Amino acid sequence: MDFFDYMLVLSKYALIIFSLIVIERALRSMLSEKYDDEIWAYVRSGKERVPVCHWENLIGRSPSADIRVYAPGISGVHAVLCRNDKGQWKIYDVFSRGGVWINQLQAGYGGAPVRDGDVINLAGTRLTFIELEGEKIGKLEKKRSVAGSRVFPAVTLVWLTLFQSTLLMQLLMSCEPDYSGRISLAFVSVIVLQWLCFTAMRMINKSGFELETLAFFMTSIGISVAASSTPEDMYKHSILVIASVFLFILFGWWLRNLKRASSMRVPFAMIAGVLLALNLFAGNSIFGAKNWLTIAGYSFQPSEFVKVFYIYVGASTLERLYMRQNLYAFVGFSALCVTALAFMGDFGSALVFFVCFLVISFMRSGSIATVVLSISSAVIAGLMAVSARPYVAQRFATWGHAWEDVFDKGYQQVRTMSAAAAGGLFGKGAGSGWLQSIVAANTDMVFGVVSEELGLLIALSAVLAIAAIAVFAVRSARHCRSAFYSIAACASVTIMLAQMALNILGSMDILPFTGVTFPFLSRGGSSLISCWMLLAYIKGSDNRREASFVVRNAENYTRPEDPRLKDEGVSRDPKPAEVKKA
Amino acid sequence: MKKITRRAISVLLIMALVLFGVGVYVVRLLEYGDSWALYFSRLNSGSSGVLHDRNGELLAEFSRNGSFYAEDALTRKACFHILGDYEGRTGSGLIPAFTEGIKDYSIFTGTTHSQDYEFNLTLDAALNRAAYEAIGEDREGAVLVCNYRTGEILCIVSAPSTDPLFYDPDPPAGTYINKCLNATFVPGSVFKLVTSAAAIETVSNIWDRQFFCEGEGEIAGVKIACVDPHWTTNFRTALSNSCNYAFAQIAVTVGQDNMKRYVKEYGFTDKHELNGITTAAGNFETAYMGDPELAWAGIGQWTDLICPYSLLRYVCAIANGGTLIEPYIIEGTETQSVQLMNPSTADTLRDMMRFNVTDHYGEDRFPGLAMCGKSGTAEVGDGTNNSWFTGFLDDEEHPYAFVVLIEKGGYGLADAGSVANTVMYTAVRK
Repeated sequence: MDFFDYMLVLSKYALIIFSLIVIERALRSMLSEKYDDEIWAYVRSGKERVPVCHWENLIGRSPSADIRVYAPGISGVHAVLCRNDKGQWKIYDVFSRGGVWINQLQAGYGGAPVRDGDVINLAGTRLTFIELEGEKIGKLEKKRSVAGSRVFPAVTLVWLTLFQSTLLMQLLMSCEPDYSGRISLAFVSVIVLQWLCFTAMRMINKSGFELETLAFFMTSIGISVAASSTPEDMYKHSILVIASVFLFILFGWWLRNLKRASSMRVPFAMIAGVLLALNLFAGNSIFGAKNWLTIAGYSFQPSEFVKVFYIYVGASTLERLYMRQNLYAFVGFSALCVTALAFMGDFGSALVFFVCFLVISFMRSGSIATVVLSISSAVIAGLMAVSARPYVAQRFATWGHAWEDVFDKGYQQVRTMSAAAAGGLFGKGAGSGWLQSIVAANTDMVFGVVSEELGLLIALSAVLAIAAIAVFAVRSARHCRSAFYSIAACASVTIMLAQMALNILGSMDILPFTGVTFPFLSRGGSSLISCWMLLAYIKGSDNRREASFVVRNAENYTRPEDPRLKDEGVSRDPKPAEVKKA
Repeated sequence: MKKITRRAISVLLIMALVLFGVGVYVVRLLEYGDSWALYFSRLNSGSSGVLHDRNGELLAEFSRNGSFYAEDALTRKACFHILGDYEGRTGSGLIPAFTEGIKDYSIFTGTTHSQDYEFNLTLDAALNRAAYEAIGEDREGAVLVCNYRTGEILCIVSAPSTDPLFYDPDPPAGTYINKCLNATFVPGSVFKLVTSAAAIETVSNIWDRQFFCEGEGEIAGVKIACVDPHWTTNFRTALSNSCNYAFAQIAVTVGQDNMKRYVKEYGFTDKHELNGITTAAGNFETAYMGDPELAWAGIGQWTDLICPYSLLRYVCAIANGGTLIEPYIIEGTETQSVQLMNPSTADTLRDMMRFNVTDHYGEDRFPGLAMCGKSGTAEVGDGTNNSWFTGFLDDEEHPYAFVVLIEKGGYGLADAGSVANTVMYTAVRK
């Protein structure tokens, strides 16, 4: 053992320690920090005052209503009380039996504006609406715990930087001297980028950085895979990373404004449709699936971007959800996407879309029947696909028997398994594996490449990172201002989870091999960009105080001028009703 | 909101499924990781290897960049059995033997990098090619040549062979077996060399004995056949004429205990190791034999089976005055010498084998070679013969011992003998 060998061994252990610290700190920060609800208004009934914690609140008798009202005549789901970006409130009667009145005027299905002091009459039960002004909201905000106050994100980022530096050192020890410059550049640019991001967020007083940290963590592993497999392309990869983060911020900023975001549903659906159509008719085929599109010399996978649009179309605000109870439009759009992907031969992506569809439709409808029906029709469609496409049938035939045909049908799986096992817990060192030289290893078999070069522990920490993001998204979803953000965040992590599962289990012969990318890890511009854009959705669900740049600070909203303030005699009904904060 | 976000639990359900799947993978990795990793052990260990023959000719090279064989097809075929292949289609061979050495695996470290190999073999690829061509495309058999003074193996050829670059899914039987090392055959008359050694050491009046053969004779009422009547022979001429009846009587005189002891002592029933390749063990009846069975066993029939490699060791020891220099094929292997037989016995046998050529086979069959040999034509039992010729050159400049086996048909001297002549001629001329 010479000096280099000692350094390599030492750096392998260091890498694992750094990655575990990063994951642990991010997880602790995301799960242990207190998550207080925002308070936007109150609803008073007699002496009791119930806070209104979201921008979209369900009022009704149901135990899962946000504002639970027990009184005769109240439906389980009675009304939806909404606020928009400008701070204007509206109440919608969502097909209640008893009806909704504001100051004796019936609020129709189109919704009626509600202002401070208005009496909301729900089938005879009267509630007074108390709107909060900016100053008061700000005061209440101060009571909420600030994100990043327990686990300092800067410290986590220092650990991440150590992780990246160690990774770079390993790569420099193994790479060809010609490429060391490019590889260094990629790592330096990602390190600079993450600190720039962090500084920018601090400057606008945003302190939640766990999601970005985890994404940068995985992106760095992805850079290592790219440096190992295609070192000559590192300039391009650096640019892709920068572009991804840029689009993440841009898209996050776009999502800040709920009205702007939710009004673009139809145009986005059309863009998605056009992309898929272009792909179907003008796409080219790489490795079996015709899911590539080349425009002006640049190849990309439209299906990756369609994911982002798909979630956009699927997510919905609460009032809209109740006003239009059917899912037909969305089901139709989903069927279109999945069918188009199946026609391209991209069954992996079709499956990812389908799982995402299940989650969105379940969240929207709450109907197990829908889920069962969807799954069974998908199974039938899948069987038809298997019988129509011989190469899909062949993949199913190989499933579980990869070792029986090492040179042909099980070629990729057995090599992934063998190389992954050869890496052991600590890996062979970044850039020192052989699996990367196999076609599509750095995308579809990336889990094997990471296992071989960086070891099982790092590979599993990437799994853990995705799982952490998923748990965080589910946790945040409860505190979102709008259902749009909740559904989008949940759908995003679902896509990440589904891709991760298909990638790992497919290449390890536990599921049929479908050739799906691992979020953030797999090489490929479309995949990386779409993952960062999906992250923006999750960022939009992070409603901790001063946490996310996608969420505007509550105290920045001022109460709009009430046109009626000059008017007199806003009636207040003192009649009490039993009101409870749900 | 609550109503919607409660349903987010479905995401956790999916996550649980995914993590369960990853758990299944980890469990399978713990269970099968070693066999997964070792399947591509050459790649996984990062080892590389280069094999040259004794003259620096490249025979095989492997690294992460790929696996290569010799450039010409004849060399690839002639050396196929001793090298083996990268895909593991042949069980034995140097390539699999080397990769055996890099099979270090644990879940913690994965496969560990072992050293890189760069070996010169003692093998002479040109001699291998000559031997492979001498056997010919339509015959099957084996040729072994060894320097009995140094133990260097010069030639190992097994036929039928195949080109490892072009995988034949339906090869002729025996293609993937190295007949030199990993197979056993009925020895027939070459086994008389063993019976002779036992007789020299255990039968005091062996030189005074006379044998009479009319083309056949009886041992305890059972007929022992000879090819021709040999009439009156003594021990020496009985060997040169390969008289079955005479050796049947000698074997009975030696007795089965002595026969079994010597066969064992000379290593015919043991496995040997040639640089990591384990050879096949032969067979000699261990149960009690009646005189007729013993007689047949003494002339290399009955249940006798020998591996060509153990016969090579035996003739090497005879040629080297009773001391066997253990053969090896990788240059630089530490040599071991074994006192396989008494020097006087070895000298006697050497003289007798030289006498075989001068008296019976004819020196003109082996022009220019100081040939000492023994032929054999063994009845396999299915009506075909194994023809053998084994021996060595009594020549200090060319101290080569050899074993030639031609299967299925032919006669020892005519078939195996002429191959031996070609191979020895090539070896000497170089």
